[in-house]
Amino acid sequence: MRTPLFDTHVGLNARIVDFHGWEMPVWYTGIKAEHLATRKACGLFDISHMGEIYVSSQGATSFLNHMLTIDIYPMEEGEVKYTFLLNPDGGIIDDLTVYCIKPEDTYMLCVNASNKDKDFKWLVSHNEDLCLLKDKSAHTAMLALQGPHASDILKACLDFDLENIDRFRFRMHTMPEFGDLLISRTGYTGADGVEIFMANEYVIALWNEFVKKGATPCGLGSRDTLRLEMGYPLHGNDIDEHTTPFEARLSFAVDLNKDFFMGKDALIKHKNKGLKKRLTGLELMEKGVPRQGHVCLKGDKEIGVITSGSISPVLNKGIALCYLDSSITEGQQIDILIRNRRVTAIVKRPPFVKG
Amino acid sequence: MNFPDGLKYTKDHEWARINGNMVTVGITDYAQKELGDVVYVECNDVGTRVEQGGVFGTVESVKAVSELYAPVTGTIVEANKTLEDRPELVNTDCYGDAWMITIELTDPSELDNLMDAGKYEAYVSTESK
Repeated sequence: MRTPLFDTHVGLNARIVDFHGWEMPVWYTGIKAEHLATRKACGLFDISHMGEIYVSSQGATSFLNHMLTIDIYPMEEGEVKYTFLLNPDGGIIDDLTVYCIKPEDTYMLCVNASNKDKDFKWLVSHNEDLCLLKDKSAHTAMLALQGPHASDILKACLDFDLENIDRFRFRMHTMPEFGDLLISRTGYTGADGVEIFMANEYVIALWNEFVKKGATPCGLGSRDTLRLEMGYPLHGNDIDEHTTPFEARLSFAVDLNKDFFMGKDALIKHKNKGLKKRLTGLELMEKGVPRQGHVCLKGDKEIGVITSGSISPVLNKGIALCYLDSSITEGQQIDILIRNRRVTAIVKRPPFVKG
Repeated sequence: MNFPDGLKYTKDHEWARINGNMVTVGITDYAQKELGDVVYVECNDVGTRVEQGGVFGTVESVKAVSELYAPVTGTIVEANKTLEDRPELVNTDCYGDAWMITIELTDPSELDNLMDAGKYEAYVSTESK
């Protein structure tokens, strides 16, 4: 599968890779250069492969409140929340953002590309005629504009003032050349900026306009190193159907005060039993590249495993997310087994750099 | 892409610079482009033996881990310590500052198994299809 920008990426000499069935740019000039451009200036990301599921009509609020961990009822028009779809065991089917387009009427779920079909099937199977579900992913393109200069470029291209919306809020903004845009002050990089949803036919023109005004095209490689520096989880690595939000230290996205949501009972049972392991971070004290699957040791005892790892382009040292035994505390030194070598690391809760 | 004439090349995309019985080794322009940003280089210790086609180390980029294969049999007599702190040299100067090891070779006839620049360039164009 290809986004509408595929030919544009090829024209920019992007290295194209398969990403869950999508042919996506992993880098254009290089992961490090693109990462630093986002931290220092402005990066532009084609994330049109993400899924957009619309939930509407009278039963929408109650249905979503049943299926998602966050409380939907208090959401105002223009509000965005990070939340989960859980299975009955409390495991994370997907992490996503929910957009309140019109309270009690219309919501949009932005879901991971790799999980979109699974999420839609899951929602449909639990619907019982409560509301209308529409998968609009195939008709919706998405760009992320992130970095300290994002606000200037947004003003120059769209005459849109970023200071007029708060973080985790969105606005509709219509331009004759770009159609109806949903501009959201959200992101996956830790930098200030926006994510923009639009109809497919406008994304090439908007991409070109952003690049003309100084945004640097950035691929999925730098998207991954940027989110890792912030400690943001990636579904499939740091969270999956066998991990719960509490183990992953994401309880802020769970409203235990709700009477009911899918997976609530299991979560409470887990919490009462006590969590055996927790997601935390590691900063390497020696040379080496931590990667998913590398085992963590304290002396001869296995204490955990790495779920995401890389070299931080800002710090020039290895950083990782890992599940460690709950007894291990921040500041402790542990070893990572990288091939046959023990590499010392210090336990450090992310973020590893300032956003 | 760059394939300097004075060097010999392997199918695994290493280059070899021959000086008497001393062979300096690195990875080619094609290899560094395929890897992307190199973040780590690790080679076997000076004094250890390698076989032609055997592993003498590892090079890692953000997205990939790749083994390094010796173009000739012999003893590692030198290793480039600069790459420990500056692995990015592999991307910017793969034939110069990013040399990796020097091998004192035992069997000069092994050099006949290596490709010259022309053959390697042809090999790369079929690899990349």
